[in-house]
Amino acid sequence: MRIRLLWRERVLIGLLVGSGVLLALLSDVFFTPANLLRATRYAAEIGLVALPMTMIIISRGIDLSVASNMALSAMTMGLLWQRGVPVWPAAALGIAAGTLAGWLNGWVIARVRVPAIVVTLATLAVYRGVATGLSGGTGILGFPDSFLALGAGTVAGVPIQTIIWIAGIAAGAVFLTRTAVGRYIYGIGHNETALRFSGIDVDRIVLGLYTASGFVSALAGMIYAARVGTAKSNAAAGYELTVITAVVLGGTSLTGGEGTILGTMLGVLIITILQNGLTLARVPAAVQDVLIGTVLVGAVLTYRERAGRKEVFVIAPPQPELHHVGGRVLTDPGNDLAVGEERRNP
Amino acid sequence: MAEPLLQLRGITKQFPGVLALDGVDFALTAGEVHALVGENGAGKSTLIKIISGVHQPDAGRIDYLGAPATFPTPRAAADRGIAVIYQEIALFGDLSVLENLYVGAYLRPLRTTGRRVDWARMRARAQEVVASLGVELDLGAPVHRLSAAQQQLVEIARALLRDARVIIMDEPTGPLAQPDVGRLFSLIRQLRSRGVGIVYISHRLEEIFAVADRVTVLRDGRRIITAPVAHTSRDALIHDMVGRTLDALYPKSAVKAGAPVLEVDALSKDAALADVSFVLHRGEIVGLAGLVGSGRTTLAHALFGIDPPQRGRVRLDGVDARVSHPGQARELGIAYIPEERQRQGLVLPFPVGENLSLAILRRLSRLGFVDHAREAAVARDFVRRLDIRTPGINVPAAALSGGNQQKVVVGKWLAAQPRVLIMDEPTRGVDVGAKAEIHRLMSELAGRGLGILLISSELPELLGMSDRILVMHRGRITGELRRDEATQEKIMTLATGVA
Repeated sequence: MRIRLLWRERVLIGLLVGSGVLLALLSDVFFTPANLLRATRYAAEIGLVALPMTMIIISRGIDLSVASNMALSAMTMGLLWQRGVPVWPAAALGIAAGTLAGWLNGWVIARVRVPAIVVTLATLAVYRGVATGLSGGTGILGFPDSFLALGAGTVAGVPIQTIIWIAGIAAGAVFLTRTAVGRYIYGIGHNETALRFSGIDVDRIVLGLYTASGFVSALAGMIYAARVGTAKSNAAAGYELTVITAVVLGGTSLTGGEGTILGTMLGVLIITILQNGLTLARVPAAVQDVLIGTVLVGAVLTYRERAGRKEVFVIAPPQPELHHVGGRVLTDPGNDLAVGEERRNP
Repeated sequence: MAEPLLQLRGITKQFPGVLALDGVDFALTAGEVHALVGENGAGKSTLIKIISGVHQPDAGRIDYLGAPATFPTPRAAADRGIAVIYQEIALFGDLSVLENLYVGAYLRPLRTTGRRVDWARMRARAQEVVASLGVELDLGAPVHRLSAAQQQLVEIARALLRDARVIIMDEPTGPLAQPDVGRLFSLIRQLRSRGVGIVYISHRLEEIFAVADRVTVLRDGRRIITAPVAHTSRDALIHDMVGRTLDALYPKSAVKAGAPVLEVDALSKDAALADVSFVLHRGEIVGLAGLVGSGRTTLAHALFGIDPPQRGRVRLDGVDARVSHPGQARELGIAYIPEERQRQGLVLPFPVGENLSLAILRRLSRLGFVDHAREAAVARDFVRRLDIRTPGINVPAAALSGGNQQKVVVGKWLAAQPRVLIMDEPTRGVDVGAKAEIHRLMSELAGRGLGILLISSELPELLGMSDRILVMHRGRITGELRRDEATQEKIMTLATGVA
């Protein structure tokens, strides 16, 4: 029913296939199952966080605190585990902490009525700050293998986080297109006042969205910690912009009311394979940023041409932290890791 | 008659799929108020957009000040002295009156060149123009602090500052309260005596007889008639507009009022509502009269839970009810058709069907999942029952005319099966045909036992549709008039607090 803007999806699929072919020509390693599967490990983190982000942006909000929340929840988990809490209960408590952090965003936005961009810009700093304070400046290493499997394990050859992501996509798409609340989310983005005047509890939905964003960010934080083998306060720095870039590239309008989960998934895939493939092709990080920014503007302009809509918003190109890992630039010759993947147990 | 200021001949304008104007002639003389009437979609908007340079005609010619003219852009029309005052006031709320008066046309210093703005000269000229209108306006005040009437004054003054020869007023009384309408009319007469030509668009026919010299009726893109208002009548105009005779203007059927359905006792809210008490019975239409700001909408919002009252009691069918948000109101059987249809009533980009089901989507869902088949069935049912003219339930509500949009809002709330229906200005900006249909529907709903609270600034509507009229002034109910004793004069006396 709401899969109506097929044009957008077609542009995105074209972009995805086009960049895939181009990158395969530029690098021998890119188009190998091993690399692609590895790349989805990183894509899954971005992609999971992008799911609630899509819904929040459709509702005309934004959550800038997601990456800080990932670090905060991972640190919470790490510290609890270090003090003797078994790793899974520690992870559950870490996720609870992240969910609470998301709820707090939602509470201030919906009840105190502070604009989302202000609230989450503040908590972007606050949550990162708390994570840094808790960490005392050092990372926590040495998690048991059972936990690390969340970031490095596979089921039938498919990375575990990729499976979680796919499940999330399915659930998110069904929720957004088939449920009453999904419909309300679009309505809030278009005209919140009319929803209130229709007897819909807008505040509760908004609160739920930011809480869900906190929960999913925390989950992604666990996956991140398991993938890199470390809980550290600078984890996932800059992810929020990559996530938002992917969502906007996927056709979600920052003015609210428009967007799909399918589009977001394609947006995430395009951004992550570009980052991965361009790195493998030894394209300098600065050039990558310019390229991704250009793709974003170009894609969003085609949506405007086609849909005849005025609302086109372009945000600054992302500044992902991928290019520097542990003080080392990933485009180093001889780097044997895929982009997004970081050295375990550094 | 004198040489026309503006003359249009054979104007034709085609939009994809619609012939908006078909060979329309229209003339405006200096010092004339020429009313333009017609149902929504008749072509009034297209015609004024052609005069003001928004659209270009496909065929026909325009003469202005005695010479052929084209207006390729709105700016070009404005520069040549054609001003439009739209229904929705188009000012910059945070800027001062003075800044608004000159936006886009700042005066430069006389002697020096450069980008400097000569505020002193602008202020002096503005004061002159405002004074010549015989009104007072604080030039330094931010526009958002002004009343709707004052904001309109700013627009008129702005037109005069640009030496407008033609002023087009599109539904200028829409946002105004009754006393302000009188003031606007005397202002219009003053403009007329200065030789300004005024094109006056309104759905309220009594205004046309009060202020216009001539009237042109458009229907389906064609000019039906142009006549001096003295030579026509209200019924003749309506006949020309709709192409048929409307059976009855206010089809109020006598319904025997049943048991009390809504009892309101001493409702209070800050200074906006003071001890408001009344009873609404089943099958009864109670009118709520009052000036803008008298507390009518505040009362509606309090009953509907948008802005809950601080004190007082509400009983529904004799049972105490506490309404703290609109969702509760809906579940208790209170529905509210809001004043601002497009902002509060509809999600314009949503299809008609999704707007119709919006208030009851939960009831159409199982375990949170919308039953799309049932939803479509309900939507189609209301499209049929209310005769909503739309190509289908999947068309965005934005594409419908004002009257049909209003029927969508009404349908949305009837779907919730209310016991009490509060209608806030239900026919504002709606054309005569749709208006009559909404009135007939109100009558029918009352006949089926619904209690209706009708808020309206249009006194003939209140008098025509209500069994009783409550009049509010400054947050209080200052009087109650039975249908047989109510008159416009009595209502206005109570509403202005003179009594």
